[in-house]
Amino acid sequence: MQSDKTLFKEVLPKEGLLYEEDQLSVILCKPKILPLKSVTLEKLEKMQKDAQNKVKEQEMESLGQSESDEQKMNDVIQNSNERFEGIS
Amino acid sequence: MPCQARLLETMDPLFVALNLFRRRKFEECVDVCTELLQKNPYDQSAWHLKMRALTEQVYVDEVEVDEEGIAEMMMDDNVIASVSRPGTSLKTPGTGQGAPSAGVRPMSQSGRPLSGFVRPGTQSGRPGTMEQAIRTPRTAHTARPVTSASGRFVRLGTASMLSTPDGPFINLARLNFAKYAAKPNLAKALFEYIFHHENDVRNALELASLATQACQFKDWWWKVQLGKCYYRLGLYRDAEKQFKSALVQQPMVDTYLYLCKVYVRLDQPLTAVEVFQQGLEKFPGETTLQTGIARVYEAMNDMSNAVKCYKDVLKHDSTHIEALACIASHHFYTDQPEIALRYYRRLLQMGVYSAELFNNLGLCCFYAQQYDMTLQSFERALSLSDNDLITADIWYNIGQVAMGIGDTGLAQQCFRLVLSANNDHAEGYNNLGVLELRKGHVDQARAFFQAAQGLAPHMFEAHYNFGALADQVGDLQSSYNAIKKSVEAYPDHADSKDLLMQLKKHFSVL
Repeated sequence: MQSDKTLFKEVLPKEGLLYEEDQLSVILCKPKILPLKSVTLEKLEKMQKDAQNKVKEQEMESLGQSESDEQKMNDVIQNSNERFEGIS
Repeated sequence: MPCQARLLETMDPLFVALNLFRRRKFEECVDVCTELLQKNPYDQSAWHLKMRALTEQVYVDEVEVDEEGIAEMMMDDNVIASVSRPGTSLKTPGTGQGAPSAGVRPMSQSGRPLSGFVRPGTQSGRPGTMEQAIRTPRTAHTARPVTSASGRFVRLGTASMLSTPDGPFINLARLNFAKYAAKPNLAKALFEYIFHHENDVRNALELASLATQACQFKDWWWKVQLGKCYYRLGLYRDAEKQFKSALVQQPMVDTYLYLCKVYVRLDQPLTAVEVFQQGLEKFPGETTLQTGIARVYEAMNDMSNAVKCYKDVLKHDSTHIEALACIASHHFYTDQPEIALRYYRRLLQMGVYSAELFNNLGLCCFYAQQYDMTLQSFERALSLSDNDLITADIWYNIGQVAMGIGDTGLAQQCFRLVLSANNDHAEGYNNLGVLELRKGHVDQARAFFQAAQGLAPHMFEAHYNFGALADQVGDLQSSYNAIKKSVEAYPDHADSKDLLMQLKKHFSVL
């Protein structure tokens, strides 16, 4: 036993600082609670959807009908309207 | 059915129309009225009823509607102080107390702290830059209107016109407003028709001003309508005057709400709260007014006061969905998912049945360690979702759960699904980046962080991650730029601040 003790001597640093490198870790985004929708908002969204569907239906109808010049003009106007709406 | 048709034929058509109107079958009511008007174009009662039916079809409570266009937001000259003192403005969220920090509570797409409830006004927020304003969607489907005058209302108006093949019902240009203004019964319905159905605010304003003169400024109703028109036209001070004058004549809850809307638009939240409180003195326990106060506090990010007000609301109306949802989300983000779960369960009991609610239930269950219900709730949420954006958010949260149980494979798949449902999901990009980095794919991770940065400049996580990654590979300049943005987005983030200091020191040594 005595000999073991002499074999392994503990070493305590008397000077200097102990360093540990701080690793930067990346972070995840947090879980997202979804907000509930108010009745007004739901109504607005539904109205908008209905309106869009109506416009589309009318366009389909007008496309199906005989393509007189006037019809073509209407289509052009509607298309440009739609495009404009898409932009705004 | 044929029996019913025969019955309808034997009845007086006007009575049938009135009955249909009362049962809210507006389209059928309009059809009957149209027939009546074809027989006799001067039938005032049919004309009046058709107007009301058409209005009801597109009627939206004006108190709730609040849409800000880009022009109003960016070129706002109504605001009194462009650099306001902390706690007096709605423009700079994050000055309030009691709210969880940006590190815990995510932001909505417009860069405001996420709320528990969305209304037409809540999504607008006030984005800092024009670019961000253009990018921020209003409800998700469509882009923001350039001004509120060209927004959803006009589009709804044109749509309703398109659907009537022989042009609009009333030709406003040929209407003699002075004649109708003198008839109070017709004028009110006509005004609502012009305002809600035609969305022609200028003509509505003309009619309202003639009508209020016709009744010698004694009818508060016309004053409120004038105020509504002025508000829509952006003349907030005029609107304020009209509402105040109407309130002197006849205190009404609606008028208080309109007046507060004006103050909120003028960015004077404290005045708005004061007016709400005056209203509460006249109408004690009125939940709409109390909710108004809570909304203002929430918009100022003063969550402790907001939650207090929402709890007051619940004392008077224990089924108030907005109050329950906001309190629940507040509890979730202040580390009390169990309590949040209770509120959301209460909502479910009340009959709210939507994808959002099940998603929230799933999240609360997971963080409250009730694992048996978690995935079931998410499954239900996915099956209820009819909107890609919501689906994306649900998959994102499932991905979070997968990260929580350490199943990175599942998480990665979930985040991929997020991006397939919504290509602009910044949080999804960021988290995918983190996962790629864990696998050692540095280039891919950097690309994901960069995408997230571009999509959500208000989100500090992406900036920080990009900065940290660039710092590790030695690209100090990009790291510095990114970290600076991160500190801007979330000034209290310790790691960002440390890294910024380190970089500054490094550059000064050079």
